[in-house]
Amino acid sequence: MTPAQFEKNIEPRWQRLEKLLQNVEQGKAGQDAVELPAVFRQVCHDLSVAQHRMSPQRITQRLNGLAIRAYRVLERRGAGGWETFIRLFAVDFPRAVRAEWKLFWWCTALFYLPAVLLAAITPSHPEWAMALLGPEQMIMIESMYGESSTPSDYVRDNFGSSFAAFCFYIWNNVGIDFKTFAGGMLGGVGALFVLLFNAFYLGAVFGYVHYSGNPLTLYTWVIAHGAPELTGIVISAMAGLRVGLTVLSPGRLSRRDALVLSGRKALPLLTGAAVLTSLAAVLEGFWSPLDLGAPVKFSVGALCWLAVGGFLFLGGRERLK
Amino acid sequence: MAATRADTLQSVELADGVEIRLRVAGLAARSMAYTLDLLLRLLIYLVMFFVFMLLVMPSIGKELTTGLFLLFLFFMEWFYNVFFEAGAKGATPGQRSMKLRVMSVTGGPVTFAQAVMRNFLRVVDFMPGLYLTGIVCMLFTKRFQRLGDLVANTVVTYVETPPVKQPDVRVQAERRAPMQVLTREEQAALLQFIERAPHWADERRMELAAIAEPLTGARGVDGLRKLCGMALWLQDPEGKKEEPPPLKSPPLFIS
Repeated sequence: MTPAQFEKNIEPRWQRLEKLLQNVEQGKAGQDAVELPAVFRQVCHDLSVAQHRMSPQRITQRLNGLAIRAYRVLERRGAGGWETFIRLFAVDFPRAVRAEWKLFWWCTALFYLPAVLLAAITPSHPEWAMALLGPEQMIMIESMYGESSTPSDYVRDNFGSSFAAFCFYIWNNVGIDFKTFAGGMLGGVGALFVLLFNAFYLGAVFGYVHYSGNPLTLYTWVIAHGAPELTGIVISAMAGLRVGLTVLSPGRLSRRDALVLSGRKALPLLTGAAVLTSLAAVLEGFWSPLDLGAPVKFSVGALCWLAVGGFLFLGGRERLK
Repeated sequence: MAATRADTLQSVELADGVEIRLRVAGLAARSMAYTLDLLLRLLIYLVMFFVFMLLVMPSIGKELTTGLFLLFLFFMEWFYNVFFEAGAKGATPGQRSMKLRVMSVTGGPVTFAQAVMRNFLRVVDFMPGLYLTGIVCMLFTKRFQRLGDLVANTVVTYVETPPVKQPDVRVQAERRAPMQVLTREEQAALLQFIERAPHWADERRMELAAIAEPLTGARGVDGLRKLCGMALWLQDPEGKKEEPPPLKSPPLFIS
């Protein structure tokens, strides 16, 4: 077969594919769209032959472009909608946390131990917390949780301000989750920094309120939304560390492949952290400002902690038959 | 000897067994696309700000408007690129205007998860400013991938444009067999040369023909003439085409 004959032979096929692709890409796929895979394979074959025979570029380039376009059309799949998303959160996320349980406990320890330590020493040695908070923060804390404050100071009864608060927490806190994750890429340093910084800051606030304020105001305010929010920040740091530790020690895989895999492992963690933080925003926006009295607040808060812990420990397990 | 490549084509084998070539986009085109997106985003922020201030605020009040605007900011900050890149075109408006597109390294379209990964990691690529980390990373990877691309396994390529119809140019040179056996790559290079030479200036043709001096044994016009002759022979080794014998000293390319 001469090159000219070959060119003539393959022309109807690629023209057919081009037409089918045009229809599909414009969203008006007709009955004949079922032919697409078969025509695509034929054109792939033609491309291989053309490459092997070193056909002129006008042929190989055209076939190459068509093959790429058709492959995109054939391989394209929707994101899966809400079902995939809910599955990612409700099943894949707790499984991913348990699969990385060592990392989870490390992150948890790195977060809560410094916080508790700092909070515990502040009443007797307040200078550490004071240095960390600075005068402006101290004034703010005293005005919010000072000795004369009561839990009912923060009651919001208007829907608008609660909604504005909710949106602010989404924008700020979920954004921090995402940044923490991204910071983990630098060998885990960024994620660790955010984790430790938040731990010390939290410890300083709690310690300082114990030292010079009314702890009841603080605890009734934070107990419920603290469960998903603190867990969210721990898990977003965990997602970042997953990627960062892979950069440091990729194991048996090449660094490039290991990175791709670690990204896939981190995605359910990141999704889970974002959803938990969003739930915390809902609670912080609409539940925490309700005037309900300390016993109700504390029992619901305990339930929140139990729910988050139970979800992480039990969620997504296969049912026993 | 591993030949150093003169182009940015990357071969990828598709699941169907065929090898395709992707034209990977470099720093300049991607920066332009990013700048265009940045301007577009600023415009959207500006327009939405006035929409919220003038239309939404009077009807639902200040607090609800603030809340909605913060939600809008959140989605624009994190999901503007994800939304477009995971869409059917695989490109943001800026990338589309530069004829770029995001693809999976496997040759397929980007999944939602990949789009999320590559865009959330922009935070690190941006550090310490102006995407310095990302740019350095792109310069050290052969597919011009920044950190986000590496983790998401994606690559930014040019959209294939259909080949332009080129004028028919007859090459007036005497067909001659090469004096030594050529490898497939060398044959391919010669065939591409004869295909593209008509569209270059004389100096460029001569410059490239001079590289093949070991093969032709001549420089200048003579080398070019011999090289063209060999390429013609490769196109049609058996000489079935009826061609008038070339004149004594004809112009080499006739359109």
